[in-house]
Amino acid sequence: MTASSDYFPRAEKAHEKHEEEPDPREQLMFDPLPRGQMNAMVMESMYTTSWKFWVVVGILAFLVATCFFYAWGYMIANGLGVAGVMRPSFWGIFLVNTVFWIGISHAGTFISAILRVFKAEFRRPFTRAAELMTTFGLIQAGASIFMHLGRVWLSYWLFPIPNQRTIWPNFHSPLMWDLLAITTYVLGSTMYLFLPLIPDLAMARDRSTGWRKIFYRTLALGFRGTEGEWRHLTTAMNIFAFAIIPVMFSVHTIVSWDFAMAMRPGWSSTVFGPYFVLGALHSGMGAVAGVLFIMRSTMKNMTYFIRKEHFDSLGKLMMIVSFAYAYFFFNDYIVQWYGGDKWTDALLHWLEHGPMSWMFYQMVTFNIVIPFLFLWNKKVRTTPWALALIGLLINVGMYWERYLIIPVTLTINRMPFTWRLYSPRIEIFLTIGTFSLFILMYMIASRLIPLIPVWEVQEGQMTHSLRKVGSTMVHTKTELE
Amino acid sequence: MAETTLLALFEDIDPAAEAISKLHELGITDDRLEVISGVPISHRILGRPHAHTNVPRMALCGAAIGSLVGLFLNFGTPGLYGVHVGGQPLLPIPPGLIIFFEMTMLFCLLATFLGVFLDSYFPNYRPLDYIPEISDGKIGLFFKVPPEEEQKFTEAMNEMGAEAVRATEAMQL
Repeated sequence: MTASSDYFPRAEKAHEKHEEEPDPREQLMFDPLPRGQMNAMVMESMYTTSWKFWVVVGILAFLVATCFFYAWGYMIANGLGVAGVMRPSFWGIFLVNTVFWIGISHAGTFISAILRVFKAEFRRPFTRAAELMTTFGLIQAGASIFMHLGRVWLSYWLFPIPNQRTIWPNFHSPLMWDLLAITTYVLGSTMYLFLPLIPDLAMARDRSTGWRKIFYRTLALGFRGTEGEWRHLTTAMNIFAFAIIPVMFSVHTIVSWDFAMAMRPGWSSTVFGPYFVLGALHSGMGAVAGVLFIMRSTMKNMTYFIRKEHFDSLGKLMMIVSFAYAYFFFNDYIVQWYGGDKWTDALLHWLEHGPMSWMFYQMVTFNIVIPFLFLWNKKVRTTPWALALIGLLINVGMYWERYLIIPVTLTINRMPFTWRLYSPRIEIFLTIGTFSLFILMYMIASRLIPLIPVWEVQEGQMTHSLRKVGSTMVHTKTELE
Repeated sequence: MAETTLLALFEDIDPAAEAISKLHELGITDDRLEVISGVPISHRILGRPHAHTNVPRMALCGAAIGSLVGLFLNFGTPGLYGVHVGGQPLLPIPPGLIIFFEMTMLFCLLATFLGVFLDSYFPNYRPLDYIPEISDGKIGLFFKVPPEEEQKFTEAMNEMGAEAVRATEAMQL
C-alpha cells in the first residue's frame, strides 16, 4: 500500500471501483450488428409465432366479440338505460375510458416527437412501439366517446356541417373542441406513425413472399431510399415532430376543459390543463414500460434491441413525470382545500372518507408514493419486470384518478337530495372490450409491422463511436446531418 | 445506342463518397447519377447537390388553408345562421382561438404528409432501378454510361472499393 493510501484508504477503494468500467457494448448504440442481420432479426420476430400467441389472440378475439361488439350492439338496441349512468352521474366509465386512452396515447408522441426533437438516442429502438400505442389508444378513446353518445347513429350532429335548418354546430363548446382536437391528434399521430414506417416496410417488402409481399409492397409505396425520398421523409418527420407536440398538449388540455369549464366543485380549476397533460404522460410512460417488457419477454431477438439501458432511461423519465404529476396534484388539491367552499369541502371529505376513499388512497400510493420510493434506485429501473410492474400500478392509479374525477366527483353537487353513488353495469363489459381490443390490435400489429425501426437504429449506431481520451475510452456522438 | 445503367454497390460511406467524386471526374454529372441508401445520408457527406424539397412549403400552405378554415368555422358559421344568446357575444375570440389552432395544425400536418407523396411520386409501383441489398444498409450508385465505356467505369468503381459493379435493369419492387 502506498503512503497516500495509508492516509486516504477510501480514496484508494474509490479509485479501484472507478476502474471497473462497464462494457460499452452493453449499450445498443455501441454494439452494432450488420444491417442485414438486424433486418433478419426483426423479420424473424414477426414470423416466429408460438401456439400460445394464437391462444391469447383467440381469447382476446372472443372477448372483443362478446364484450365489445355484442355488448355495444346490445346497448345500441336497448338504449343507455342498460348502463349505470343516471342522475347525478351522467358521465360514467365511458368518459373515464376516453380520458384514460387519450392519456395512454400521449406516450407515443412524447417518446417519438419530444425525444426526437431533443435527440435523445435511447428512444430509437422503441419509438414505433410507443407510436402504435398512440394510434391504437386513440381508437379506443374514439370508440368510448361513441359509446357515451348512446345514439351513435346521430353522431353526425357533431360533424362540422350545418343541419337541415342550416344551423352549424356551436364551435365555442368544449365538446366541439374535443371532437376537432381528437380528430387532429388521431390523424396526425397516424401519419406520424406511418412516415418513419415506410423504409421498414420497404425492408420487409424486400424479404417477404406471398401475401406479405403484396401487403408490404402496397404499403411501402415504391420507396427505394433515393436522396430525394430520404430528404422529403426526414423533413416531414421533423415538421411532424415539432408540430405534433403542441397538438398533443392541446388534446389533453381540451379534454380537461370538458370538466374545468364547468362551475362544479372539484372541476373548476385553472391547473386542470397541465395536470391532465402530466397525468397522461404518467400513464403513457408506465404503459410503454409494460409494452417493452412484454415485447422483450415474448418476441424473438428483442433482447438485442431493448436493453436495460432503455428501461433505465424510461424509469428516469417516469420518475421526473411522477414528480411533476405530484406537484400539480397537490397544487390542485391544496387550492380547493384552502378555498373553504362548502360543496368543495364536502367533495374532499367524500373522497377522503367516503365509500370510494380506498380508490383515492390507492391513486396517491400508485401514482406518487411507489414511483418516489422505487424509481430513484437504478437496480429497480434496470429490472424490466419491476419497471413494468410499477408502470402497471401507475396505470391502475391513473384509471382510479379519472374515475374519481368523473363519476365520483359528479356524485357531490349543490343538490344533496340527488347524491347517489354511481355503479357501472354494462360499462364493465365494454371496458373489458376496449382493453381486449387494444391488446388484440397490438398483438396482430406485432406480426405485421416491424416494431423496431431498424433504419433508425442503424442511423444511430453510425453516429456513435468510442474514442480514446487520455487513458480511457469515452463515448462520442458525431452529427452527420 | 441506348445507354446502359450501371450499379456500383458500396458497403461504407467513405468509398461511396470517393466513388461519386471519381464519377464526377469521369464526366458523370449529378443529374445522371442516383444514390440509393438504406439510411439517410447528408448530401454534404456524399458531395452531392442539395436535394430540393417542397415539403416545408406545403406545410406552410396547409397551415394557411387550415387557419382560414378555422376562421370560417369560428366567425363565418355563426354569421350564416346567428343564434343569439342573451349576454353572450356571437363571435367570441378566446374560444375561437382553440378551433383556429386545431384547424391550422390539422391542415399543416395533412399538407406535410401529402407533400411527401407529391415530392416522392408516391405511390409508385412501376419498375425502377433498385436492388434489395439497399435495405441491408448498402449504398448503391446508379448511373448511365454508353455501352462502349462500361468496362472503363466498371474498373474505376472496382478501384474505388465497390463490392459489386454490374449492369442493371429496372425491377418490379
